[in-house]
Amino acid sequence: MIEVRGLTKRYGDVLAVDDLSFDVEPGKVTGFLGPNGAGKSTTMRVMLGLDRPSSGTAVVHGRLFSTLSEPLREVGALLDPGSVHPGRTGRNHLRVAARTNGIPTARVDEVIEQVGLADAARRRIKGYSLGMRQRLGIAAALLGDPGVLLFDEPINGLDLDGVLWLRGLLRRLADDGRTVLVSSHLMSEMQQIADRLVVIGRGRLIADATVDEILRGLGHLHVRVRSPEADSLLTQLQEKGLNVQRVDAQELHVEDSTAEQVGRLAHTLRIPLHHLSEVEQSLEQAYIELTSSSVEFHGHPAPVPAATEAAR
Amino acid sequence: MTAQSTTPLVHASDEVSTGRLFVRTCAAEWTRLWTARSSRWFLAAATLVITGLGTALGFESAADPVEIQGGPAWQTAKSLAMPAQFAFLAFALTAVTSDFATGGIVPTLQWTPRRAVLFSARTTVAVGAATGLGVLLALAAALLAFTTAGSALVLPLAEGPAMVATVGLVFSAGAALAVGLGFLLRNAAAALVTLFLLMLVLPLLLGGLGYEWLADSFPGSGAFFLLMEETPQGDMTDASAAITMLVWAAGALLLGGLRLVREDANR
Ligand SMILES: Nc1ncnc2c1ncn2[C@@H]1O[C@H](COP(=O)(O)OP(=O)(O)OP(=O)(O)O)[C@@H](O)[C@H]1O
Ligand SMILES: [Mg+2]
Repeated sequence: MIEVRGLTKRYGDVLAVDDLSFDVEPGKVTGFLGPNGAGKSTTMRVMLGLDRPSSGTAVVHGRLFSTLSEPLREVGALLDPGSVHPGRTGRNHLRVAARTNGIPTARVDEVIEQVGLADAARRRIKGYSLGMRQRLGIAAALLGDPGVLLFDEPINGLDLDGVLWLRGLLRRLADDGRTVLVSSHLMSEMQQIADRLVVIGRGRLIADATVDEILRGLGHLHVRVRSPEADSLLTQLQEKGLNVQRVDAQELHVEDSTAEQVGRLAHTLRIPLHHLSEVEQSLEQAYIELTSSSVEFHGHPAPVPAATEAAR
Repeated sequence: MTAQSTTPLVHASDEVSTGRLFVRTCAAEWTRLWTARSSRWFLAAATLVITGLGTALGFESAADPVEIQGGPAWQTAKSLAMPAQFAFLAFALTAVTSDFATGGIVPTLQWTPRRAVLFSARTTVAVGAATGLGVLLALAAALLAFTTAGSALVLPLAEGPAMVATVGLVFSAGAALAVGLGFLLRNAAAALVTLFLLMLVLPLLLGGLGYEWLADSFPGSGAFFLLMEETPQGDMTDASAAITMLVWAAGALLLGGLRLVREDANR
C-alpha cells in the first residue's frame, strides 16, 4: 500500500508535482500515466526518498521510505536504468545490493536467472544494452522479494519476449497480493496490464479509476454513419443539438449519441443509411482526451518546404 | 512470486539495529570500492611510486654514504609519503564522486536510504582504506630503503610507531578532507581542483608571497610540516599542524554530510 498525500515538488521554478494525492492498493497492477514531464518519475523519486518533497508526503506501509533499514525487503524499484556504475559487473552490482540489506548472495544468482541475465552477469554493465539494463534493474527490484514494487517505464528497450515476460511477471506479482505501480507511455500496454489507472498531467491528478471506469466514464460514444444524403442528415442532427463532424462526402461522426438514436432519426426522415455503427473508445483515445489540455510538449509538424516546391 | 522465493511476503518489521546496519553498509562499501576499476588503478599507481622510489632512494643512499650517514629509513618513508599521499587522496575522493558522476547514487540510496548511515559508512571505508594502505606502503618503503641502502640507513624499531602515527594522521585527515569535498561538490574535477588548492597550491603560493601566517592555516602546510619535519616557511608545531589538518577535515565532512542528508539525491 502506497499513500500519496498533497505531494508537491518544485525544482527551482519548475512545479514538477502539484498537490497530488492517490493510493496504490495491493493485489492490483496500477498504471501510472501522463505525458512527458507530467511528474511520474518525480513522484516515484519522492516515494523512494531520493528527492525531498516541497510539501506533502508519500508513505509505504505507513512509513517513509527514507527511514527503512532493509528497504529492499519492503520496496523494490526500477528507475532510470542508466543510473548505475558502468564499471561493475551486473553480478557485483547485485552483490552490493544484497550486502546492504542482509540478503544472502545465493539470492543474487536466483534473480539473475529469473530475469534472463545469466550469460551477461559477469560482464561489465558498460557493455549492456538498454534492455539488459532494464532486466538488471528488475533483478535488483526483485532481490529482496518485496511486497511493494515500483517500475518506471519498464518496457522501454525490452524485446517482444521481454515484454511478454514482464507482463506475466507484473500479473503474478499483483496476484500474489503485492502492490505494483507501473508507469508507461504505452496506453495499449496499460490496457492489457493494469487493473487501475492513475493519470496525471502537469503534476496534477487527472483521473484515478479502474480501466473500465475510465473507458466508460469518458463514455462519449461516437456513432459512425454513412449515407448518400449526408448533407440533410447533418443538418437534421445538428438541429437536434448533436455535435456532428463531417468525415467525407458520405460519412459523418456523431458524438455523444447512440446508433439507436441516429438510426431512428434517419428512419423518420426517410434518409437511407449505408452504414451505422458505434465506435468504442480505446484507452488510447480516452487518454488523449484526458491529457490533451495538460500536455506540456506538443509536437510540431515538420515545416512544409513550400518555397522549394514553388521555386521548381 | 516464483518457486525460488524463500522469504515470506509480508516481512515482520523487526528492525535491524543501527550498529548492525552500519557494519553491513561498510561491507557493501568495501565491495563497491574494490569492484570499481579506478580504485585498483590508484592503488597500483601509489604502490609503484612509493616502493619504486623507496628502493631507488635506498640505493642512492648506499652510493652516496656521505650525504645521509646512518639516517633513519623512517624519514625516507615519510618524505615519500608527501608525494604519494595525492594518489590516496584522489582514491578516497573518487570513491565518493564516482557515484554522483555515474548516477550510481540512485541505486545506492535505494538500498541504503538512511543517508546518515550511508555517509558514515562511506566515509569510514574510504578514509580507512586510504589510511591503512598508505601506512602499509610507507612501512614497505622504509623496509625497502633500509635493505637496499646497506649500512647507509638505519631502522630503529622504537621509532617505528611514531612514523606510523604521523603518516596515519596525515593520510586520514587528508582523506577525510577529500571525502568531505567529494560529498560537498559531487564532482570529481571540482573536488580535485579544490583539494590541490588547499593541499599544495595555496600554501606554497601564499608562503612564497610572504603571507606565512595565512599559508600555515591551510591543511597542505600541516601535512608538509608533519611529513618533512620542516615548514616551507612560517613556524608550526606538531600540535598546530595536526589541529589545522583535523579542523579542515572536520569542516569539510560536516558540510559534505549536510549536503548529502538534506538535498535531493542527484541534481
Ligand atoms: N532535477 C530536476 N531539476 C529540474 N527540473 C526537473 C528535475 N527533474 C525533473 N524536473 C522537471 O520536472 C518535471 C517532471 O519531470 P518528470 O521526470 O517527473 O516527468 P515524467 O512524467 O517522468 O516524464 P517522462 O514521461 O518524460 O519520463 C519536468 O518538467 C522536468 O523538467
Ligand atoms: Mg519519467
